[in-house]
Amino acid sequence: MKSIIEYIAEETHGKAYKSHRFCFDKEVPLPSLTYDESQTFTIRNDKYGETAPKKATSSLENLAKSLQREEEPIFSFFLDGSRRIYKVDDIEYQKRIFPIVGGQIGVACCERKSKDLFGKAILERHLVLSMPSAADLGQHHDLALGKMARDINASDRLQRLGLQLSTILKYEAKKSDKDKEEYMNLGTATIQDKMIECEKKVVDELVRKNLLHEDCYLIKDGSLQYPLSSKSDFRELAKYKANYRRVVGVSKSFNPEFSKDKQGRSNAASIANLPLYHRTPAAVFQESRVGNVFFSTWYVRIRDAKVTDSPFSGIVKIEKVLVTKHEEENGLDSGEVDRITANIINERNPVCYGKDQRWANHLYPIYLTESYLKSQYLSDLHFINLF
Amino acid sequence: MIQQIGKVVATERAPSTVDEFYFWTQKNLIIKPFDVIKVKHIKHSTTFGVVEEISHITDSASSLAGFISSDFGDVEATTNTNRIGMNYVKARVVGNTGSIYTPVLDGQPVSLADEDDIRQALGLSNVKHPVPCGYIEMYEENPITIPVHFNSHFLIGPEGAHLNISGISGLASKTSYAMFLMKALQDKYIKNAEGTNESVAFVVLNVKGRDLLGLDEENNELDDINKAIYLEKLGIPPTPFENVKYFYPYARVPESVTYGRDFDNQKDAGKAHQYAYTYESDKEKIEMLFANVDDTNETMSSIVAQIASENSEFSSITQWGDFKTKLSEYKQSGNTGKDKEITVLSWRKFSRHFNRVFDKNQHLFNDNIEGIEGGVRLQEAIQNINKNDVFVVDIAKLSEEMQGFVFGDVVSAIYDLKLGQIDHREEDDIPSKIIIFIDELNKYASKDIPKNSPILRRVLEVTERGRSLGIILFSAEQFKSDIHDRVKGNCATHAYGRSNAIEVSKSDYQYVPPVYKSMMTRLEQGEYILQNPIFRSLLNIKFPKPTYRQFKNG
Repeated sequence: MKSIIEYIAEETHGKAYKSHRFCFDKEVPLPSLTYDESQTFTIRNDKYGETAPKKATSSLENLAKSLQREEEPIFSFFLDGSRRIYKVDDIEYQKRIFPIVGGQIGVACCERKSKDLFGKAILERHLVLSMPSAADLGQHHDLALGKMARDINASDRLQRLGLQLSTILKYEAKKSDKDKEEYMNLGTATIQDKMIECEKKVVDELVRKNLLHEDCYLIKDGSLQYPLSSKSDFRELAKYKANYRRVVGVSKSFNPEFSKDKQGRSNAASIANLPLYHRTPAAVFQESRVGNVFFSTWYVRIRDAKVTDSPFSGIVKIEKVLVTKHEEENGLDSGEVDRITANIINERNPVCYGKDQRWANHLYPIYLTESYLKSQYLSDLHFINLF
Repeated sequence: MIQQIGKVVATERAPSTVDEFYFWTQKNLIIKPFDVIKVKHIKHSTTFGVVEEISHITDSASSLAGFISSDFGDVEATTNTNRIGMNYVKARVVGNTGSIYTPVLDGQPVSLADEDDIRQALGLSNVKHPVPCGYIEMYEENPITIPVHFNSHFLIGPEGAHLNISGISGLASKTSYAMFLMKALQDKYIKNAEGTNESVAFVVLNVKGRDLLGLDEENNELDDINKAIYLEKLGIPPTPFENVKYFYPYARVPESVTYGRDFDNQKDAGKAHQYAYTYESDKEKIEMLFANVDDTNETMSSIVAQIASENSEFSSITQWGDFKTKLSEYKQSGNTGKDKEITVLSWRKFSRHFNRVFDKNQHLFNDNIEGIEGGVRLQEAIQNINKNDVFVVDIAKLSEEMQGFVFGDVVSAIYDLKLGQIDHREEDDIPSKIIIFIDELNKYASKDIPKNSPILRRVLEVTERGRSLGIILFSAEQFKSDIHDRVKGNCATHAYGRSNAIEVSKSDYQYVPPVYKSMMTRLEQGEYILQNPIFRSLLNIKFPKPTYRQFKNG
């Protein structure tokens, strides 16, 4: 019986090398400053991201306490997406060697109905492959990839295991990219894009079911700055904004250097010095990748600096899309910023201390969602040996 | 309806094995040790398990995470989300419907069992020769009550015999449980529904207050709930014992030697007798007064042998008074009779000890007892026991040595009866099983009792060879760990009542899972943990209040 890789090589007129297979991902995430992540956005020096900005930082401790006493938390849904990347094999096309990149994509959304009732709302899981455009895919690449995916799914091996390949993606094999690592990165990027697509689909589903409303927000793990697809048009943009009205992005790690003050100087020191339960004024920025979308963003310290291991642990970055024209011009209502922040502060306990190095920046429901998602993956060995 | 409560988890650290497995449940599900659960297994079979340990675990890596989660020790701190947690249950495998003992598989559904399942799981269905031994209550939310039966062949022979009950005085109600079983046995054999040739009789020793001195009288305080349990669940009439006879120590003023206050009435009804010992017939038993005397050189038993010998100077003696006089002669220096091997010192020791006991219990050494109205020699009375009789021998107010003496006498009498050494009785008239109940067994068969103790010897004879003869020992004591290993080891059935932490930490309880051990320290009155060869695991049973008269103030 032919292996999946042999089938692909034969189908695309390449030569499989049966080289070493491995998981491409880094080990357990450690708390780190993401200096290398190039977020391309423009800070709007002329505007704040909120209606009534204060010059200094403000404490939300009292608000957080009173909200905890008197109200239900506004966050009911928690979303996390992740992927695992594997190098499945090398295949020779046009006398160049390309990696075949495999990936497991998972997006989980959990719902908290009460303190004790926390469970899955939506789970998306996909097994994908990404192969170079240099492969012989005929005139219609998409059709050829689709056919290959169907054939692979019909194979005895996957049938027996009850697994399905969701799609075969294609990365552009540019000639200038000599380094094989680069090809891996190109392949990874296509899988990452697929994951983002899944995340958006999940949010869309929640919105369609009317599950998100003013008392029921969603926290998304990480930034909201999605690149829209190349074919993005006004309609997609409008849908994105509408869908993300009740979504707050909370990032555990961020590059403080991207935070600038009005004069365009780095704000990193003042973020590091944030007192406990204080938030910064919200800034507004325009995301170049997303297009004509404005975000309001601010930082809050949820853990006392004296108990954390670096000046930025204990601080989370909060993002929210500015939806209406009014919001785009004047920023988010400061009251809403406070309410969101206070609710985030109230999510600080319990902690995953001892289980995750990033405990100081983690919010427990997000941690649970992440753990749930991880539990749903096939083991690395299992995945690698599928092919 | 099958209520699924969780799923099996088999991990590297805690795998499913032939003997045990683990499963999770929701943290608010109420389940308790001894509950039966079932798991789907291969080949459409079902594996049954008994809950042993229940732990609640969360994803917290350490206690420190708990402290930090309260804002570093702020007791007022609250959370929006409670930590994810579950209950993690360890269960012991007790059987499989297809006799498949490969370990249960990860992820298999675990559910509560129904009544039939529970019977099957615990080996309670189709019990042959059933004798009710209590009832089990299972599950908190939808309780199921199931009567439990011993197979009488494993309680009173021939397959297995002897019962040992242990537990703290008062809290464990050991006597009540022994009497409950005896009531069930008496009822079974009086009805004789199975039409067997077997028969029983009981000899119980009353060692405490008036405890067993009202066995034939009704318990007026038995409420309807308990009556219903007797009638509906266990099929035993809530009536007192039948054919009861009481044997009180003899004294002119009966109250001086017994706590019983109904002697005269019982005597008038022909139920009460007084016993004493005559020199002529009972002199061989004197050795039993020396049960607790360390006699490594066996000098005391040599003296007793000499006294009982036909050739000795003692052979012409017929009365206790003369015996004492003779004894005082022997302890004079230079006067040790023909037997020079026994020193004067030994005679003095013997005499000292004998006199001490004799003086304290003079009324019991009465050579004319058979001439007194209602007076009997205990040995003779016991050897006339009939089928379904319950003989109560009161020894509560006697001194410790005398209690041992009487107990030893009772055991010897029954032994002789069953060995066929009694001429005047037909084999068919003798009950095929005679059950002896003694509380405070530790007084006669503890590990500290001298090895050559004649009473210990008799107890060992009963436990080791009594099963085939039809002599069954029902014994009770506070601390099982004190009891002689050969006595415990020969008991087929063990009942554990409430105990204490020191006791359950002893090696006797080594095989008992830790949770059951701690349960033993919390058992309520009327609750026992049973071990019997026909049950597949330990059982936590309850039994109703006694049917016979209870004396509140002893």
